[in-house]
Amino acid sequence: MSVATAVVDVHALLQLIYVSLIVGVGICAVYATAVLAVARAQERRRAGQSASATLYAALAAVTLAACGLAVVAGIAAMTTK
Amino acid sequence: MHSNLLIILVVGTALAFDFTNGFHDTANVVATSISTRALSPRVAIALASTLNFAGAFISLKVAATVATGIVDAGSITEPIVFAGLIGAIVWNLATWYFGLPSSSSHALIGGVVGAMIAAKGTHAVQFGGLVGKVVIPGLISPLLAFAVAGLAIVLTYRLVAGMRPGPAGRGFRYGQIFSGGMLALAHGTNDAQKTMGVMTLALIANGNISANHFAVPDWVVLSAASAIALGTYAGGWRIIRTLGTRIIKMDPAQGFTAQSAGAAVVLAASHVGFPLSTTHVMAGGVMGAGAGKRVSAVRWGVASNMAIAWVLTLPAAAAVGAVTYAVTTIFGSGVLGPAIIAVAAIAAVTLILTRRARTLEHRPVGAQA
Repeated sequence: MSVATAVVDVHALLQLIYVSLIVGVGICAVYATAVLAVARAQERRRAGQSASATLYAALAAVTLAACGLAVVAGIAAMTTK
Repeated sequence: MHSNLLIILVVGTALAFDFTNGFHDTANVVATSISTRALSPRVAIALASTLNFAGAFISLKVAATVATGIVDAGSITEPIVFAGLIGAIVWNLATWYFGLPSSSSHALIGGVVGAMIAAKGTHAVQFGGLVGKVVIPGLISPLLAFAVAGLAIVLTYRLVAGMRPGPAGRGFRYGQIFSGGMLALAHGTNDAQKTMGVMTLALIANGNISANHFAVPDWVVLSAASAIALGTYAGGWRIIRTLGTRIIKMDPAQGFTAQSAGAAVVLAASHVGFPLSTTHVMAGGVMGAGAGKRVSAVRWGVASNMAIAWVLTLPAAAAVGAVTYAVTTIFGSGVLGPAIIAVAAIAAVTLILTRRARTLEHRPVGAQA
C-alpha cells in the first residue's frame, strides 16, 4: 500500500474520479431536464395551459443557467491553476 | 557550445508533432458532433480548431508534469528530445494511416522515455512519475469516461423517456455545440501543453532555461497553440470515421453524454496535472454512451483493436525513439544526425501523402476515410 501511494498521487486520482463523475453525470442530467422542460413548455403553451407552460419555462431557464454556470466554473477552475 | 541550428530543428520537430497531434485527435472533438449531424464537418472542425487554440492558454500544469515529472530534466539533450519526437510522430502517422484512434500523448511520452533510456540508461527516467502520472491515470481514464457516460446516458434516457424523438434530438444537437466546444477547449488545455513541456525540455537542454526554475516562455505557448489549432483544422477523416460511426451508431443524446463525460474527465485531469490521453477518454465515453443504451450496440471488435493500439503505444513509440537516437549518434552529437533524419522523415511523409492523395482525388470528402 505504501509503495502504491508513493508512486501514485492517490488524493489527485480520487479528485479526478469524483469530480468527473459529479460534473459529467450532473451536467447531462441538468441539461436533459432543460430539454424536457423546453419541450413541455412549448406543448403546454400550444394547449393553452399558460400557468403550466410558465412553470416549465422557468424550470428550463434555471437548468440552462445552471449548465452555463457549470461551463464558466470549469473554465475558471482551469485559469486559476 | 550550444547549437542554435539544433534547437531550431528540435522546436520545428516539436511543432510538427503538435500539428500531427491536432490532426490525429480532431476525431476526439468532432466525430460525435458530425455523426449525429449536430454540426456540419467544416463548422465542427473550425470550432474545434479555434477552441483548441484558446484552450492551450488556459493552464500550464500538464506542461510542467511532462517537462519535470517523467524524465530527469538535468540529463536531457536536444538529440534526445528530437528522437523522442520522431518516435511520437512515426507512431501517430502509422495509427492515423490505419484509422486507429491511439494516444498522441502516450506516443510523445513513450518516444522521449525510449530516447532517454537509449542515451542515458534507465536511471534517467523517473519511473515513479511515469507510472503514477501517465500509466495509472491512462488506465483509469477510459474506464472512468465509460462509467460517467454510461451513467449519464441511463439517467438522460430516463429523464426524456416521455418525449417525442424530434424535439429531444434537436435539444441534444444544440447541447452538442456546447459539449463539443468544452471538449475542444479541454483538448487544447491538455494536449497542447505536452508539446509545450517537450519544447521547454529542449530549451532546458540548450541552456536557455534553468532546470531548477521551470517556466514556459510565451512564444512556446503561442506557437504550440497555433500548431495544434492548424493540425485540428487540417482534420483526420479516417479517425473521425472510426470514432464517429464504427464503434457505435450514435443518437444526439449519446453524442452529448459522450462529449460531456469526455470534457469533464479531461478538464478534471488537467486541473490535477495528469497528462491524460483525450483519445482514450473519448473512446471510453463513446463506448459508455453506447453500452448504457444496449451493451451489444458497441462493436467490441473495433474497440479491442483500439485497446491493442493503446497498449502498444508507449513501447512502440519508445522503441522508435530509441532507434532514432541510436541512428543520430552515428553522425556524432551535433546537428547532422537530426538533420538527416528530419529530411528523411519529411521525404517519407511527403511520399505517403502524395500516394494517398492520388488514390483519393476522385472520392467525395465524406468518403475519404
